[in-house]
Amino acid sequence: MGSYVITFRSVTLGQRGERVLNGSGIRCSLYRTPRWMEEQGCGYALRLWTKDISRAAALLRENQVPMRRIYLQKTDGQMEEVPV
Amino acid sequence: MIYLDAGATSFHKPPEVSRAVLRAMNTCANPGRGGYEAAAAASRTVYACREAAAGLFDCLPEQVVLTTSCTHGLNIAIHSLVRPGSRVVVSGFEHNAVTRPLHALQAQIVVAGRKLFNWEDTLAVFGQALDAGAEAAVFTHVSNVFGYILPVEQMAAMCRERGIPFILDAAQSAGSLPVELNRLGADFIAMPGHKGLLGPQGTGLLLCAGEVRPLLYGGTGSASIMQEMPEDLPERLEPGTLNVPGYGGLTQGLRYVKRRGVDRIFREEHRNLERCVAGLKRLGLEVFAGEHQAATVSFRTEGDCEEGAALLAKQGFAVRAGLHCAPFAHESAGTLDTGTIRVSFGCGVTPGQTEAFLRAASKLSLDRR
Repeated sequence: MGSYVITFRSVTLGQRGERVLNGSGIRCSLYRTPRWMEEQGCGYALRLWTKDISRAAALLRENQVPMRRIYLQKTDGQMEEVPV
Repeated sequence: MIYLDAGATSFHKPPEVSRAVLRAMNTCANPGRGGYEAAAAASRTVYACREAAAGLFDCLPEQVVLTTSCTHGLNIAIHSLVRPGSRVVVSGFEHNAVTRPLHALQAQIVVAGRKLFNWEDTLAVFGQALDAGAEAAVFTHVSNVFGYILPVEQMAAMCRERGIPFILDAAQSAGSLPVELNRLGADFIAMPGHKGLLGPQGTGLLLCAGEVRPLLYGGTGSASIMQEMPEDLPERLEPGTLNVPGYGGLTQGLRYVKRRGVDRIFREEHRNLERCVAGLKRLGLEVFAGEHQAATVSFRTEGDCEEGAALLAKQGFAVRAGLHCAPFAHESAGTLDTGTIRVSFGCGVTPGQTEAFLRAASKLSLDRR
């Protein structure tokens, strides 16, 4: 089980993403995107715990929820961007 | 007071509406502006409203733009589609919320179809006007003065076939007739939150499928570095702090409508309309009624319409008189000089109340004699 962060351009997109993932059994929660992750300033992100980030990303794509970036939280706590 | 002015606003709302308003006022901060619980509660309250609307109107939550009124939504939609000098086809029953923004933009307004309760004429003239060339079309679903239900599905199909973008004004239909953004293929559908959807005043919805152009600019809680408005809906059209308590209440109104069912609401309101129309005709008043009529009826006495409405108000009946902000509709019906008295039925009016109104109206007709 990995811990990931998916960032979105707005709170509304983040909220719809939350509905899509929770509705498919992928546990996630919405929070403010850390400033360093969002170069445009101010956004929302989903923190999720999953074995299969590809499935989560595919679900969001299928439901037309555009993502900005995906980060994997490594065991040492560092965040590493993974391709969307 | 017996309230028969649902065309202006709903008065008796489900109790959960005011409870939700109060709850939001006591628990919500600014939506989309913070990560603490009160801000998150505000964001959830607002999103619940979008979801409830999306479920009722066949669209995605982010296509639901929260406005202050139907007029606000129509202004955004018209501002998005119409440029100065554009030729815009409208029905013969439009409200000033449509015609004034068009006039302000110096659009060339083509009024098509002025015969009341006549779908054949409405469709024929509307089609001819589109064929003569149009950059956009704007039409009401239901006339706010006469309750005429326009053949909007066919009108929408005519626009789609010709590739002409269009806006539907659902001010008088949302909550009592089916309104579906994707199925209709509209670019925009505007509606109030406080009429058939039973929410608080100061709320409205704009359903967006077309390309949008902001009417207002400002903070959205997202992409703060950019000086342009964000591209994404709904934030692109929602700068500034939203009316969170209002949308909290509106969510409950939307859920009530969904639970009760639009068809059932229409049938209940329509039974009152039929009783009212028959009664007014028996009194010998001039009644504007016909096929394809929602639960709104206009009538005239030989006296002044405002004085007639004032007499009814003294007897405890709330109806509206005058031109109802719709001079084009009165021009179509030949009532511009006199105006009309309008009775519009909302949720919860009983047959007994309709009968009581008819007794009051009978005094009105006797007075004029």
